[in-house]
Amino acid sequence: MALCSHFISIKALLVSAVALLASSGLQAGIAVEGRVTLPQTRTVAVPTQRYEIVAKGGTLAVNPPLAVVYLEGRFAPPATQPTARMEQKNLIFSPAILPIRVGTRVEFPNLDDTYHNIFSYSSPKRFDLGRYRPDERPIPSQVFDVPGLITLRCDIHEHMRALILVLDTPHFVLTDETGRFRLEGLPAGKYVIKAWLDSRTLREQPIELVDGNVHRVDFP
Amino acid sequence: MRVLVAMMLVITALTTTVIVLAERTLTRRVEEQLQQSFLSELANVHRSQELRQAALLERVRTLVRRARIHAAIEDDALDLLYPSAKDELRDVMDLDRDGAPAHPAVYSLRAQFYRFLDRNGKLIPVLPPHGAGELAPVDESRLPLPQPPASAVQIGYLQRQEADGSSSIAEIIAAPITSFEHGTVIAALVLGFDASALVEPMAEEELRRGIWLDDTLHMDAIGTAQRSALSAAIRHGLGADTFPEGGIRQTLAGEPHLVFVKQLNPGSLYPPAYDVYVYPLAPLVAQKSRVRWKVIGVGCLLLTVGLTISHYLSRRLTLPVERLADDSVQNRLQREKAEAALQSTHAELQRAARFSADASHQLKTPVAVLRAGLEELRSSDGISPETADEIGALIHQTYRLSSVIEDLLLLSRMDAGRLELTFRPVDVSQIIDAALDDLGAQPDADSLTVATDYARGLSVSGEKKYIALILQNLLDNARKYNRPGGRIELSAHQEGDEIRIRIGNNGHAISGEGQSHIFERFHRAAMGENIPGYGLGLNLARELARLHHGDLLLLRSAGDWTEFEVRFRAAQPSSASVPHT
Repeated sequence: MALCSHFISIKALLVSAVALLASSGLQAGIAVEGRVTLPQTRTVAVPTQRYEIVAKGGTLAVNPPLAVVYLEGRFAPPATQPTARMEQKNLIFSPAILPIRVGTRVEFPNLDDTYHNIFSYSSPKRFDLGRYRPDERPIPSQVFDVPGLITLRCDIHEHMRALILVLDTPHFVLTDETGRFRLEGLPAGKYVIKAWLDSRTLREQPIELVDGNVHRVDFP
Repeated sequence: MRVLVAMMLVITALTTTVIVLAERTLTRRVEEQLQQSFLSELANVHRSQELRQAALLERVRTLVRRARIHAAIEDDALDLLYPSAKDELRDVMDLDRDGAPAHPAVYSLRAQFYRFLDRNGKLIPVLPPHGAGELAPVDESRLPLPQPPASAVQIGYLQRQEADGSSSIAEIIAAPITSFEHGTVIAALVLGFDASALVEPMAEEELRRGIWLDDTLHMDAIGTAQRSALSAAIRHGLGADTFPEGGIRQTLAGEPHLVFVKQLNPGSLYPPAYDVYVYPLAPLVAQKSRVRWKVIGVGCLLLTVGLTISHYLSRRLTLPVERLADDSVQNRLQREKAEAALQSTHAELQRAARFSADASHQLKTPVAVLRAGLEELRSSDGISPETADEIGALIHQTYRLSSVIEDLLLLSRMDAGRLELTFRPVDVSQIIDAALDDLGAQPDADSLTVATDYARGLSVSGEKKYIALILQNLLDNARKYNRPGGRIELSAHQEGDEIRIRIGNNGHAISGEGQSHIFERFHRAAMGENIPGYGLGLNLARELARLHHGDLLLLRSAGDWTEFEVRFRAAQPSSASVPHT
């Protein structure tokens, strides 16, 4: 999980860097860091510890709670189609939440010894990959080209759940478990910075990014 | 024999009691057993029902976990709910590919229809095309729950209106769909099963089964009258809080039945439905009668054995009785012996009496000869007057002697029972007259006062000479034992059918002890030492009075007065000439 997050972060940074270079030249040094006050760890008894996605009153969230912080604005589309991975291993999805930029192709490798059948009934992207085995090639994948929250489920393993947050921005990052985040390589300008906590909780602040500064933003 | 009869009666009574008790106990036991078997059969039915429900619930529990169903509900994709369910519930649905029921009459694990309720219990409408099973709108409107689905499965029963106008019973199971994440109920899946088997007669023993739903009995193959009677009984039974567990008895079509009612869906949010079982008790009645006949058969056997035993026992018991009877026979023999001895004694007595009579007879002759000789001697010449007086005294003694002999002769004849009386009416007043005349002739009678009181013409039954003898004796005593210048009273009167003659006299009273002996032979009262007599007069008088069916009594003897009373039977005109021995 930590590894995956790391991987995603690096990838996001790379993507951001590429975007920045492409749009407004190299203006490294602008970063936003801060802290999102995450909801208390839910104490709802869940049938198994494998659950990564929780829902309460129709709200989907990650357990343990993590937030996605992203910069909303108008950015040039990527030069190459970004890709991401959502693994199925030990009968859980990994990572539990995957923020991606619109148009990203997400691969769903099956790393278990059994069949999985990933599907989504979420309106931004309905799909059904059908049953497939670990040796399925090419690795089943989907392109997410509509922003929104997508719930991934496995038809065979009812408890498996994961979220994909499709964002129309290249600048996003996942907080750590204490809520700390750092967005780097950001373009200067006026934006709105948002923190997605769960399907119903989205906090936002306007921000004006100035070159060479490290801005401090907290979402209490 | 009496013992045998008594024993047989006792045995019969006991056996009858035992038979009655045994019959009652056995029939009660048979009834209990049958009821038990009914109840256990019922329990079996209920258990299989529970097993079926458990199996159904397990399937339903699996269904409500299905990811696609959860996805459709939780991921805001209700449009995909029924289409997804169509795939997911294909196994459980009793439908072929075209959506028509494959096995319409099978009360099985296969559902006929299904619907979803939202988190508030409201129906999530079916969007075409669907494979959720046909359901009339009126029936569909009864699927929603009155409140948000509970976390437990709700079971209900529904009377379905078929397209052709007929109706059938459906069992509906509303299973909550619970969020995996937070455990709350987000929807419910309602599955409908064909439950017509619940109202069809069961295969064996004419056991009828039905459902009581919405105050209506649903039961196949039952007449209108029976249905209404049964409905009334169930309604009444359910009027109490719980239906009697042992069932209630109900007569249907003239035959006794046992009705069991049990709620099918206790605690459900759906209206209560009751399982109704109707057991015919005719087999029970038949078995009861079989038992009764068996008991009676055994009872008869018992009775026979008992009577045989009683016969044997009575024989054992009557043996001593027979022995007693034997003893009594011996007693009788002894008595006969004694009687024979008595007889012989009597004979001896008679012989003695005869001897006495003979002796008296033999004595009379010498006395007569003696008297004649003395009289001749007195009248002969040369006898001095002194000698003549002496001889006169001796002659008087011979008269006394012959009088004694006469009395003894009479007594001995009486003792031997050989005195024969000729009962005739005798004018007793004449005899009294004569006796008083004789009394007056006695030398010492002059100083005595004689008072009489008797009516003329008193007539007694008897023989004149003996009656006269009695009166002579009594008057003689009254004179002899009187004091000088004393008084004699004689009275006679009739009392009832008796003539009573009282003769009293002055003189020393007879002592108390003497009074008890005066009627004994040769007894003379102590005070009469100087008074002539030989102690036979009163004895003779009493014996003679008794021979006349009368008696002689000493009325009193106290102070200066002694009084006797002799009683005779008054003569009856009809008994005038009846001879008597």
